[in-house]
Amino acid sequence: MVSLTLSDLSGAADPGDPADPAWAGVPAVTVPLAPVPVDAQPNAYIRASWADRPYGRTPTADVAAATVGDRLLLRLSWEGSGEAPGEFPDACGALFPGGQGPALPATMGSAEEPVTLWQWRDRTEAQQQAQPAARHLVARGPGVFRPAAGGGELSAAALRTGGRWAVVLSGPRDVLGDDARVAVAVWDGPSDERAGIGAVSAEWAAVVR
Amino acid sequence: MTGSTATGETTTSDGAARPRQLAMVFDLNKCMGCQTCSIACKVLWTREEGEEHHWWMSVNTQPGLGTPKDWESMGGGWRDGQPVPGHQPTRAEFGGGWKFNHQDVMFGGKGRQTHLQPVDTGDGTTRWGMNWDEDQGGGTYPNSYYFYLPRLCNHCTHPVCVSACPSGAMYKRAEDGVVLRDETVCQGARFCMEACPYKKISFNYVRGVAQHCIACFPRLEAGVAPACARQCPGRLVFVGDAADPHGPIHRLVHDWQVALPLHEEYGTGPNIFYVPPLSPARLNDDFSIDEETPRIPPEYLESLFGPRVHAALDRLRSELATVRSGGTSELLDTLIVYHWNELFGPYTTDPSTLDRSPERVAVQLGPTANRSS
Ligand code: SF4
Ligand code: SF4
Repeated sequence: MVSLTLSDLSGAADPGDPADPAWAGVPAVTVPLAPVPVDAQPNAYIRASWADRPYGRTPTADVAAATVGDRLLLRLSWEGSGEAPGEFPDACGALFPGGQGPALPATMGSAEEPVTLWQWRDRTEAQQQAQPAARHLVARGPGVFRPAAGGGELSAAALRTGGRWAVVLSGPRDVLGDDARVAVAVWDGPSDERAGIGAVSAEWAAVVR
Repeated sequence: MTGSTATGETTTSDGAARPRQLAMVFDLNKCMGCQTCSIACKVLWTREEGEEHHWWMSVNTQPGLGTPKDWESMGGGWRDGQPVPGHQPTRAEFGGGWKFNHQDVMFGGKGRQTHLQPVDTGDGTTRWGMNWDEDQGGGTYPNSYYFYLPRLCNHCTHPVCVSACPSGAMYKRAEDGVVLRDETVCQGARFCMEACPYKKISFNYVRGVAQHCIACFPRLEAGVAPACARQCPGRLVFVGDAADPHGPIHRLVHDWQVALPLHEEYGTGPNIFYVPPLSPARLNDDFSIDEETPRIPPEYLESLFGPRVHAALDRLRSELATVRSGGTSELLDTLIVYHWNELFGPYTTDPSTLDRSPERVAVQLGPTANRSS
C-alpha cells in the first residue's frame, strides 16, 4: 500500500495555493490510476455507451498531503491529455472511505459502502459564482454522486502549467476518520470523462500522520 | 364516468385503472410557426444566466435540421429493450444565446461600418440557433413545401433520460407522469442529454446542471395549462390526461387515430402527439393540378410519424369531404376548438385569477419565482 506522510504547512504563506513554495518540501507520491471498470458503471446506458470507448486516460497522479490546524490539504498534480477542450471540464477528486469502507476504491464506493468525494472541476470565474469549483459529495458507485449533507467547508485552487494541472483541495481534516486512507480520481474533460467515466487509484493510500 | 383515485390513477368507464399521464396534442394543420409558444416558455422559465440558449419549447420548419442541429441523427432512445448510445449535443450544435454588438452600432460610432449582428465568440455558437433554417423547407418550385413542428420534452412513458442518469436526479412523478430533475442532485454528467433521442435537454454551463421542460408543473398544480399551450394564438395545443377516455386527447390518439407520436421508433413512448399536416395538391410541369398527390411527400411524413400517418391523413381528408358535402364531423369540430377551454382538460384555471402576490408566489415557487406570464 502506498503511504502519504502528512506535512505540517502551518508556516506556509498560502498553502491553499498549489504554487506556494512550501509544497516543494512536501514529499509527493506517484499514484497509479486505472479506468473505473465499465461493468461497474451504474446503468445500462452508460455501460453500452462506453463499452467500446477508451477512458480513464490519465495513468498517474502525484499526490502530496499536508495539514494546517484542523484542515487537510491534498495537492494533486497530473498531465492532462492535451486535447482540445470539449463539453466537459477537466476534474480531479479525493476519495475517503471514512470508517471501514470498501476494500478497493476502484468503483468509487457502493450503495452499501459509500465514500466521501472531494471533487474539483475546472470552472470559469463566472461559473464559480453560480457553483464553486470544489464540491463535497457522497459517492455510492461510479458517478453515483450526491451532495454531502454538512461535511464542512471545502475549497480548491488550481494552476495549469503547460499541459499539467496542480490542484490543492482543502477541507476538514476529520474526513480521514480513524482509518486514514485516501484515493484519487482524475477526469480528462476533452475525452468526455465525467461521473464514473474516469480514472481512479487502483488501491487506497494510507495517510501517515 | 371518469374519476380519479387517491393513488393518482384515472378510473375509466370500463372500470380499468390507468396511471394518469399528462399528454398534449399539437394540430400541425393550425400551427403558423409564430413562436409564441417558445417565447411564452422562454419568458417564464429560461431568462437567467446560463439559460440564454435554452429553448425548452422550440418550433422548427420541416424538413430541416432542427434544434439542436441535425438532432435526428444523434441517437439515443431504446431498441429491443436496450438503451441506444447517443451523441452529446454540443453548445455549438444548439447555437443561439448570442450577444449582439449593440455597443458598437448604437453608441460606439461604428454605425456606418457595421450592422447589428451576433458577436462571434469563436465557439461556433453563432452559426446555428433555434429555428435557424426557418421556412427553407423542401421540394422545388412550384412544389416547394414546409410546415412547422413545435417540440418539447415528451414526458415519455419509458424515459431513457431517467434510466441514464447515474446520480438519480431524474424521475417521472407518479401523479401525472411529468419527467423532472432535482437540480440539487444533478451533477451535470449529461448522460440524460445523450440518451434522450429527441435531444430536448439543455445544459446550463453556468450552474452546471442539465435542464428541460418541466411541463409548467407549478401551473398544472394550480389547474393552469402550460404556458406554450395557453399562449398559442392558433389554439391548437390540447392538454390533458392521456388515460381519460372522454378527453379530446384520448379520442384523437386512440379513437380517431389522427394524432401520432413523433419518431415512435425511438422507443420512449412519447406523450406529445401530432395531427399531421395536410397539404395542397402538387402542380404538374404544365402547372395543371395533380389532385392525387399532396405536396408534402407522404413518405417524408412517414419518416416522422410512422406508417400510421397515411391512415391518419386519409381519415382527415374523408372527414373534410364529409363536411364539404354538407355533413358533420365530430373529429373536425374537435380540431376546430370552438371554445378555447376545450383545449385544456382539467387545466382551465385563468392564471390571472390566482393569488399572485409576491409572498404567495415566493412560497409556491421558491427563489426563482420572480417571473410572470
Ligand atoms: S423527451 Fe427526452 S428528456 Fe423528455 S422524457 Fe423523453 S427521453 Fe426524457
Ligand atoms: S404558438 Fe401555436 S401557432 Fe405559434 S408556433 Fe407555437 S404551436 Fe405554432
